[in-house]
Parts: sequence; structure tokens; C-alpha cells
Amino acid sequence: MNALYWWLLLSFLLFCIGAFGVLARRNVILVVMSLEIMLNAVNLALVATANFRAGAKGAGTLFALFIIVLAAAEVTVGLAIVIANYRNRRTVQTDTFDELKG
Amino acid sequence: MPGGDFHPWFFVIVAAWVLVCGLGVVLFRKIMYSAVSMVFCFLGVAFAYALLNAPLVAIIQILVYVGAISIVIIFAIMLTEVQHGGYDLFFNRQTAIAAVVALVGAAVLAFVALSSDIGQIGDKSLTPGLRQLSRLIFDRYVFPFELVSLVLVAAMIGAIVLATREKERP
Repeated sequence: MNALYWWLLLSFLLFCIGAFGVLARRNVILVVMSLEIMLNAVNLALVATANFRAGAKGAGTLFALFIIVLAAAEVTVGLAIVIANYRNRRTVQTDTFDELKG
Repeated sequence: MPGGDFHPWFFVIVAAWVLVCGLGVVLFRKIMYSAVSMVFCFLGVAFAYALLNAPLVAIIQILVYVGAISIVIIFAIMLTEVQHGGYDLFFNRQTAIAAVVALVGAAVLAFVALSSDIGQIGDKSLTPGLRQLSRLIFDRYVFPFELVSLVLVAAMIGAIVLATREKERP
């Protein structure tokens, strides 16, 4: 087995741990944390592929940097929404956010 | 095991570290334990970047994730946590389905990667140096670079607008 396979396997496992957290946990902040773990897994796959593949020409490393910046923006806006919602509803549990339910 | 410029045991240590801390994030009952576990998971990923010859990404990972994003998340936890007693239902009802989806997803991804020829290349590292990377940022990808900074400013303004309490209008 090649080195890239092992790094990609680690990235897939981390991604699926994050996906499980997003799907299964009730706390919104923990959902945001699991999303960050998924983004980290994608970054790991990008950096590993850019490290071993000649065709990437460094763009994979660059895209990992862009994803880190966009993740920072995403977590800022997401937590601002969570706090604004907490101020109105006094809860951070996902299954209580049902005001738009028909 | 991946060889290259480092001993294969380094990969095993980093992989075990990242996976155990990642599982800790989704399985701990107390959310503050999850947050600390997440910090260590990000640190492990930074070590993985360092092993993959991407020291710039490793440093930025430590600065942004371990430094900034963790602090923001811990502040959000401290601002919102329900103080009176713990709640028992920390998993929702679809936990079994979520576990199945995650496991099947991991299996499908691993199968696709193993059946493709993506790994049929040498083990030698091809990551560009800092000089080449900065040339990429400021020459070829300068427009996405500026766009990302615009997105960051917009996100900061949006977060301030969302999180400030509305004043009563006279």
C-alpha cells in the first residue's frame, strides 16, 4: 500500500467521525465543532494529495489555506447565530428549533 | 505504512491521536470536555501537516484553529451552557442511523480510494516550498485571495450585527 492511501484513510475516518457528530448530537455548538472536524479532514486529504501528486503544483496546499480562512468565517457567523438564537429561546438543543415547522 | 522522510511510527502515533481525540469530541457527555478534545484533535492535525512537509499550513492551523476558533467556541459554550443540571439527552433520536451512515460512508470512501489509481505514485514529497507557494498566492490565485479577505470582512461585520443586542427605538 502506498503512503497516500494511509493518509487518505485517516482523512476519511476523521470525516466520518465529524459527520456522525453533526448527525447525532443535540447541542448546536457541538454540531459546529463536528463541522470543524469535517473541514479538517478535507484539509488533510488536500494537503496529503498535494504532497504526493505532481499534478497539483501546490494548489492543494493553497486551497487548504483558503479553507482554513473560510472555516474561521463560518464558525464566526454560525456561533453568532447560535448566540442570537439562545438570547431569544434560552436553548441550544437542535430539536427545539422548530419555529418554522409547518 | 507511509515511509518517506519520517519513521512510520510517527504516522501511527499521529493517526491514533487524531482519531481518539475526534471520537472524544463526538462522544464526551460534557461539552467542555469535547471542546478540549477538539483542541487536541486540531493539534494532531497540525502535526500531520508538519509530517506532510507543509509547515506553513501547520503553523496557520495552530494559529487559526488551536488559537482563534477554539477560543471562540469555548466562549460560545460559556455564554450559552444551561447552568441548572445536566441534560440526559445529549444524543438525538437518529443516533443509530447516524452511526450507520458514518460507517457506510467511511467504507465507501475507502473502497473508492483503494480501487482508484490515485496512490500509484512515488512516496517522495512534492510539496512546493514557501517561495513557490507565495508566488502562487500573489500571482495566479490573487483574485481568490482578495475574495477570501472580502468574505472574512463580511463575516466579521455579519457576526457583529447578529450578536449585538438590538437597542430599543425611541
